[in-house]
Amino acid sequence: MALSEALRAHLRSIVDAHHVVLFMKGTRLSPQCGFSATVVGILDAMLPAYHTVDVLADPAVRDGLKDFSEWPTFPQLYARGAFVGGADIVKELHARGELQAALGVAEATVKAPALHVTAKAAAVFREAAADADGLVLRLEVSSGFRYDLSFGDATPLDVVVTVADGLRMYLDPGSAYRADGTTIDYVVGAQGGGFTLSNPNEPAKVKQLSPLQLEAMLKEGKPLTLVDVRTTTERDLAVIEGSRLLDAALEHELLAMDRGAALVFQCHHGVRSLAAAEHFVGHGFREVYNLQGGIDGWSVTVDPDVPRY
Amino acid sequence: MSHHHHDAPAGDMCAALRASILTALPDAQVEATGGGGHYTLVVTSTAFAGKGMVDSQRLVYGAIAHLMKGDNAPVHAIDSLRTRTP
Repeated sequence: MALSEALRAHLRSIVDAHHVVLFMKGTRLSPQCGFSATVVGILDAMLPAYHTVDVLADPAVRDGLKDFSEWPTFPQLYARGAFVGGADIVKELHARGELQAALGVAEATVKAPALHVTAKAAAVFREAAADADGLVLRLEVSSGFRYDLSFGDATPLDVVVTVADGLRMYLDPGSAYRADGTTIDYVVGAQGGGFTLSNPNEPAKVKQLSPLQLEAMLKEGKPLTLVDVRTTTERDLAVIEGSRLLDAALEHELLAMDRGAALVFQCHHGVRSLAAAEHFVGHGFREVYNLQGGIDGWSVTVDPDVPRY
Repeated sequence: MSHHHHDAPAGDMCAALRASILTALPDAQVEATGGGGHYTLVVTSTAFAGKGMVDSQRLVYGAIAHLMKGDNAPVHAIDSLRTRTP
């Protein structure tokens, strides 16, 4: 398929409008493919800001770029209007220490993130710091939003934030970008104490829902769609009242819904439905539940009239 | 909503990748490994002499583009592509 002049001009305007542009699957905070995540991880550690385009959201751009760049895969990185390469080339340039030059960027100056450390958490950090001979307090936020609080060595690229009187926290540039706005608390429970982090940048996750919680939601009349991902054969054996079979028509209907809509996924034991639920989180839905234990758990806990099989 | 790959035996697809690259770059030595739609390629050819990484990889991608076209393409991803000169 030949690239239309209009699309070519549109793509040209995107790569010319920003110093660095990454055409990727997903977004910077929520990459939808491992190759895109790898390149985001490398760029985050190097650049305070760059432009990304989610090719999954625009099939015309996705197809057009393959011709525009003469490159069949994603991600695709552009700098100063010129194609730099795909994931392999970015990794290779990075490993050789040549990526900054290829992108034409100076040493990164990363904005310090806003971090809120509660008095309780600060007290625990201070106590631990007294034993951490010469090491600094580090917070790492991986591109998959896993957290690591530790004492370690400072590095030259670190962003340093004073989080409380006399208490400083060190973050690599990528972590600094992802941590902005995070609150760190220390909570003591029956099992001992632990840090809790609440980060507004974290993408939505599938929430587990017990049968009793689902029953309560349905009783309250909370608007939700209960999606049965099993087969029609299984639905003939047992069905939760109000559930709908996930077929092509329902998938189409769901994908047209507001991304704030509540979706509950259900299967036999809660495994297949989790995969389906994650798929819809990937499509941007923010309130997605998986029924723990599936219809079997529902039958055992809530409604014994639903046959088990 | 699920990913569909053509379930051709992995060896057949590696052979198809190798053959396609050899058509475009007759002197090439090609190592193709992988399966399940995901492949790793190491290609050695004099055609890459004097070329940068982007242009070298374009030569290879150009040779296998027909195997990567469309949502149900037999080659879903090239996990890693390395180009070398002999």
